[in-house]
Amino acid sequence: MIEIKNLKKIYSGITVVNVPNLEIRKGESVGLVGNNGAGKTTLFRLMLDLIRAETGEVLINDENVAGHENWKKFTASYLDEGFLIDYLTPEEYFYFIGGLHQQSHAHVDDFLSGLSDFFNGEILKKGKYIRDLSKGNQCKVGVASCLLQNPELLLLDEPFANIDPSTQFRLKSLLKDLNKNKGVTTLISSHDLNHITDVCERILLMEKGVIIKDIATNSSTLNELEAYFGVGQL
Amino acid sequence: MTSTFIRHELKAFWRSKNTGKSIAIRVVMSLVILYLFINLFFLGFFLDKILEKVFKGEDLVMSFCGIILLYYLADLFTRLQLQELPTLRVQPYLQLPIRRNLLVRYLSFTAILSVFNLWPFILFVPFITKIIATDSGPMVSLAFIVALAGLTLFNNYLALFIKRKSNLNGWIFLIAAGVIALIALSDFYWHIFSIRKISYLFFGHLISQPALALLPVLLGALMYYFNFLYLKQNLYLEELSSRKATSYKSSTEFPLLNSFGSVGDLAGNEIKLIIRNKRSRSALIMGLFFLFYGLLFYGKPGPAGSEGFKVFVGMFMTGIFIINYGQFMFSWQASHFDGLLVSGISFTDFLKGKYLLFTIISTCFLFLTTPYIYFGWRTLLIHFIMYLWNIGVNTTMVLFFANRNYKRIDLSKGAAFNWEGVSGNQWILSLPLMVTPFIIYGPFALLGHANIGLAVLALTGIGFILTRGFWIKQLTADFYSKRYKIAEGFRNK
Repeated sequence: MIEIKNLKKIYSGITVVNVPNLEIRKGESVGLVGNNGAGKTTLFRLMLDLIRAETGEVLINDENVAGHENWKKFTASYLDEGFLIDYLTPEEYFYFIGGLHQQSHAHVDDFLSGLSDFFNGEILKKGKYIRDLSKGNQCKVGVASCLLQNPELLLLDEPFANIDPSTQFRLKSLLKDLNKNKGVTTLISSHDLNHITDVCERILLMEKGVIIKDIATNSSTLNELEAYFGVGQL
Repeated sequence: MTSTFIRHELKAFWRSKNTGKSIAIRVVMSLVILYLFINLFFLGFFLDKILEKVFKGEDLVMSFCGIILLYYLADLFTRLQLQELPTLRVQPYLQLPIRRNLLVRYLSFTAILSVFNLWPFILFVPFITKIIATDSGPMVSLAFIVALAGLTLFNNYLALFIKRKSNLNGWIFLIAAGVIALIALSDFYWHIFSIRKISYLFFGHLISQPALALLPVLLGALMYYFNFLYLKQNLYLEELSSRKATSYKSSTEFPLLNSFGSVGDLAGNEIKLIIRNKRSRSALIMGLFFLFYGLLFYGKPGPAGSEGFKVFVGMFMTGIFIINYGQFMFSWQASHFDGLLVSGISFTDFLKGKYLLFTIISTCFLFLTTPYIYFGWRTLLIHFIMYLWNIGVNTTMVLFFANRNYKRIDLSKGAAFNWEGVSGNQWILSLPLMVTPFIIYGPFALLGHANIGLAVLALTGIGFILTRGFWIKQLTADFYSKRYKIAEGFRNK
């Protein structure tokens, strides 16, 4: 699904992402962890062709993301509020995104009614523009717009960060369902080690732009990660 | 503590995005402000001559006294629209162990630091020193200045109070504006009372009784205290923030645009962008004001009424939105540009949406200029030709420069004196926009073949409209080579 070759991004002399080789196969659920500044978001942006790589390339389904657009048809992503059109109401935004995928309003409405649990009555028909929603609710809109696109590949940057515990659990089961039952390849970053080891079958650990660990999740993964992040703790 | 506040304030000013990061923008900004002040100063300096002309045969001092209150009424109205609330800045201090009185006093005090409070002095003090000081002596002129200060304070705090109130309830603003309009109407239209007479009643007496100057000062002080109390009791985030109380926001659709498919969706979204955000809305409203531009020139004797000016004015009136809004493209969408890039919208559609938007709005503006038929059919014909020029040539030109614009702008700020997003781009862009039609039309007009000049303009416009597909292709290729730079610039808050 995703193949990264010799990828490098340098900001003012400092290499912030350096991934010589990485392959993510179709149907995998991959978690990306690392401290602030490890290069997670930069890696996401490189994968989405939002920034120019110094060297190397990212292939999605054997197509270089830079200079091609086919991958956008089956890739859904939400990195931050910058992905949302904040002066629209959530409904308008969903219709817009649905329209890009040739979905009628009725289809979008139908799909959204299936997410009413996830929205918890906070999103639809509230008479607010997206910019007036709280950060957590904006995140819900972003994630829902991703799901609406019926993606084959889903990229989420810290989706658990701002949402309430109930929604976190709902999101986890949504993601598991997408991956297990619909075969969606997921790539998610998070600072919550519990969630990420729960949702993902493979964990990539980044430090200073480099993927230093690539582990298949098992019962000891959480301990291993906690040992890494709990540097110097007794 | 207060000195710390002031130091923070200075930092906030110099580090704010509106101040402009580059030296060039700062220089231009100070030049523009200086220019405005010099204009105002000249107006003040020659106020005696102007008053002599306007109120022929009246006593100079009397007419001066008469206009002061009128000025303050207009001042209040302008303040209501333009003066910014100096309030959100205290937010980071609210939870710290700092006494409320100190905060509120600081807030009230900084409210004085507004350019609005300089205007009356620049405007009136020259007159006071020139005429009143020589006529009635220094004591009286001092009294005048003190009275001016009092009234300025009063207006300052009254405007802020109304603005704060109207943040909580939008009707308050309308009521206040209505009251001001009512006062103006009952003076100039219904002649119930005369503000000039009232103004003279007070300022006329000031000449014989300088002590009366304390009256406006008292009013100002009262208003200050009133404001102080109000702020102290309402030092809460909702009241402080400049955000309007939110009403229910309903989803809207433009059925007409649906027939254009996803291009129509994009144009529809952009129309929502324009209407729902402060800065873009003011760009549109400024454009509407430009519709009166023709009244300044048309039908006037001399070159101002000539056809060359109609070409110029016609271009502005039908295309002001393209110029005013287009010069900041695609910065308007900076906050969600990443989302657009990954969404799978092809840039071709994106550009088609822009063309559609410009065409729709320019067409509206063209219709709004139809009353100018009063100045003859030919005027309307010129407008139409310039409309073709605008949606043909100018749109393409604006979009070409949009590919070179890397500055993010915050849509929630007003447009007046807002320098965010301004770069060399806008200055360079304005040159070809204004000059090109004249390079084409000018030579023909000078040689006495104005009609041919107009025809060439029209044909060029139509030519560009017919070849849009070609231009879109060029612009798309151009965009792909610059998209990383644009997106990165837009990410820089």
